[in-house]
Amino acid sequence: MTTLLVGPFNRVEGDLEIRLEVQDGAVSAAYTNSPLFRGFERMMLGKGPLDALTITPRICGICSISQSAAAALALADLAGVQPAPEGAKVAALLHMIENVSDHMAHFNLFFMPDYARAAYAGADWHQTVLERFTAGQGSALRRAIEARADLLHVVGMLGGKWPHTLAIQPGGVTRTPTARDLIRIGASLQAFRRYLEAQTFGGKLEDFIALGTVQQLEAWTTGDAGLFLRVAEATGTGAMGRGTGRYLSFGAYPLPEGRVFKGGTWDNGAEAPVDFAAIREDISHAWMLGEAAHPSAGATVPDEMMREGAYSWCKAPRLQGRTFETGALARQIVVGHPLARALAAEGGVRARVAGRLLELALTQIEMERLLRDIRPEARFMDQVILPKDGAGVGVVEAARGALGHWITVKDGAISGYQIIAPTTWNFSPRDAGGTAGPVEAALVGAPVAEGEDTPLSVQHIVRSFDPCMVCTVH
Amino acid sequence: MSQIETFYDVMRRQGITRRSFMKYCSLTAAALGLSPSFVPKIAHAMETKPRTPVIWVHGLECTCCSESFIRAAHPLAKDVVLSMISLDYDDTLMAAAGHAAEAALEETIQKYKGNYILAVEGNPPLNEDGMFCITGGKPFVEKLRHAAKDAKAIISWGACASYGCVQAAKPNPTQATPVHKVITDKPIIKVPGCPPIAEVMTGVITYMLTFDRLPELDRQGRPAMFYSQRIHDKCYRRPHFDAGQFVEAWDDEHARKGYCLYKMGCKGPTTYNACSTIRWNEGVSFPIQSGHGCIGCSEDGFWDQGSFYDRVTDLTQFGVEANADKIGLTAAGVVGAGVAAHAAVSALKAAQRKTQDKKEEA
Repeated sequence: MTTLLVGPFNRVEGDLEIRLEVQDGAVSAAYTNSPLFRGFERMMLGKGPLDALTITPRICGICSISQSAAAALALADLAGVQPAPEGAKVAALLHMIENVSDHMAHFNLFFMPDYARAAYAGADWHQTVLERFTAGQGSALRRAIEARADLLHVVGMLGGKWPHTLAIQPGGVTRTPTARDLIRIGASLQAFRRYLEAQTFGGKLEDFIALGTVQQLEAWTTGDAGLFLRVAEATGTGAMGRGTGRYLSFGAYPLPEGRVFKGGTWDNGAEAPVDFAAIREDISHAWMLGEAAHPSAGATVPDEMMREGAYSWCKAPRLQGRTFETGALARQIVVGHPLARALAAEGGVRARVAGRLLELALTQIEMERLLRDIRPEARFMDQVILPKDGAGVGVVEAARGALGHWITVKDGAISGYQIIAPTTWNFSPRDAGGTAGPVEAALVGAPVAEGEDTPLSVQHIVRSFDPCMVCTVH
Repeated sequence: MSQIETFYDVMRRQGITRRSFMKYCSLTAAALGLSPSFVPKIAHAMETKPRTPVIWVHGLECTCCSESFIRAAHPLAKDVVLSMISLDYDDTLMAAAGHAAEAALEETIQKYKGNYILAVEGNPPLNEDGMFCITGGKPFVEKLRHAAKDAKAIISWGACASYGCVQAAKPNPTQATPVHKVITDKPIIKVPGCPPIAEVMTGVITYMLTFDRLPELDRQGRPAMFYSQRIHDKCYRRPHFDAGQFVEAWDDEHARKGYCLYKMGCKGPTTYNACSTIRWNEGVSFPIQSGHGCIGCSEDGFWDQGSFYDRVTDLTQFGVEANADKIGLTAAGVVGAGVAAHAAVSALKAAQRKTQDKKEEA
């Protein structure tokens, strides 16, 4: 058996290091280390509750709206109110745009460039991938960056700036869009649809979301989606990195009538609502002091001795004592989309990437629908008076999956703040029972060729989860 | 490599046309506040000067600066700058990974010794010997010192590298420390903001690449061309401030009319940045335009100044025009008296600033 230390990973957000044990040309065990700790939960203590709206989004420059939305919901919950309905719609639209931007950035900038590597030279698809996806140069990358910047105009307009938008508040949003704004946003959304249909899918979004089986998916040959499917098949990478078949979603985009994508869990075919009381953050293998706790009672005390046996700053969240995978695929499986359900059993690299593409198409359609629904004359923000003492929870779905903020307030100051980010679920270390985190488990069996020090298979699998390491530990 | 390519060579190789190139030169001149006569000079410099290599490293941060950067205003500007500096080393965007990436960093340092610009996003945490941010098995602070040793100059991107930002908020659990407190023997340009505006980032880097010198800096080490005026000075809601018209509550009638956000905690009067002129996301808006006050994210210590929704009153160090309540009252009463009061306040402000300047110089 040999041991490989893989890292730093590039083209992921933040820092990541993985220790691999390799036996007979395959990974036999993996240990993920999140080597970056900033201590956001500690710095929240003693601050005014509203500070959460400004500080927590700065955990991450990629999914700052997700953090902002979770913080706003936690404060609204603390005050026992619902945001103004039109405000909730604008907040949902802002959040959808960020998630869509993340999905397309992941596909184009972070994931696909791996297939442009020299190791794949000679394959009949390689030239096309080189032209489209060479890191920093490919034509698809350029188009994606441009389309994304255009789409983010909408966030600029509604939120003032992106990243680190301030507009989302517990009572709604600070910006009241005018009828003229809505028309401009509509134009931006139309332009984005044209980009998706011409470049990413090479066909109508409605046709892609109508796919219901793996066979139908495999028959999709157009656009970069088609290119990916062909390459995943040809390289055998699509089947790599199978998960455990347990998926979690907190439910995305709360509107007065319910969440646009409903939440729940899916355990190899069995559906259930999320039992929030059954979440525990285990710290047996994290450089943290204390005991496993529910986030409403948890603390973040770094073990400055970095004790033996522990190997990451990341805590290990578990639901009913078990690991769960979270992300776009999980979300659409929980919603019950036929294609996502068909991919649930496969659960590997292809399933995750296809899940993301599917959601890209679905969310574009939802954004268009939502925009038509916004009434500029209505109230967009209600006054919210926060109690001096109390507790609140805000759960949302970031691009990468389930995100929760748990806040406790005493005498008008924050006395407890715990955050569980999607990548905390996916990239968690082992728990007290020795059960590996979702990525650690998915890496077992990944092929390692002779002489590879940063195995390609491992990179494909890790990136298929779209890790956001800065959120993981925060 | 003995012959380093020129900027123009690189752009041509990236498929950028001559026409686009000239357009870029004019845009740059405009962004930097230079007269049109500078356009040929910029063009000439880009055609003849060897490309300046850039190493971009990430410490304790959230990648928001990179995110802002790749969304730079004019798609062309971003394209050009990206290809121009071609980020010889960038952990987030580059192709290589793992040991190959570390080797690429070393190679770039050796190849361009003394000649490259080091762009730093994020900052090093010094607590526990830097163990809170480890890349490539070593604390980030070591990587930073190593890369800084042979750099020509350093750019501190964003509030993290410049001042510490939110991760340095009390109690600063990791002892996150701004770059200039770790590297003391190199010229450092601070480009604060959380994140900085994309156009400001490309503007600064283009200026350095084109003119081969540092932009003029203010006392705090920020490029004067972007940080010499307060948000308040050029805010489109300023007339409402002067007229004493304020938003009193979220989404009230005054909010819909776009009145001044001072009473909602706007930090525009004490924040030096270009948000109200250049704006965000390709010039479409900025926080005040979205109905939320400025939080002052380009100022040192913005994260620990009490609530972001508290009014900035009785600030002595910068001298805000006055207490908004007072101005509001006078304006509502006798107009003449209001004007007089305002003039008096402005004189007071000037006096305060003089004292302040003296203090800073001392």
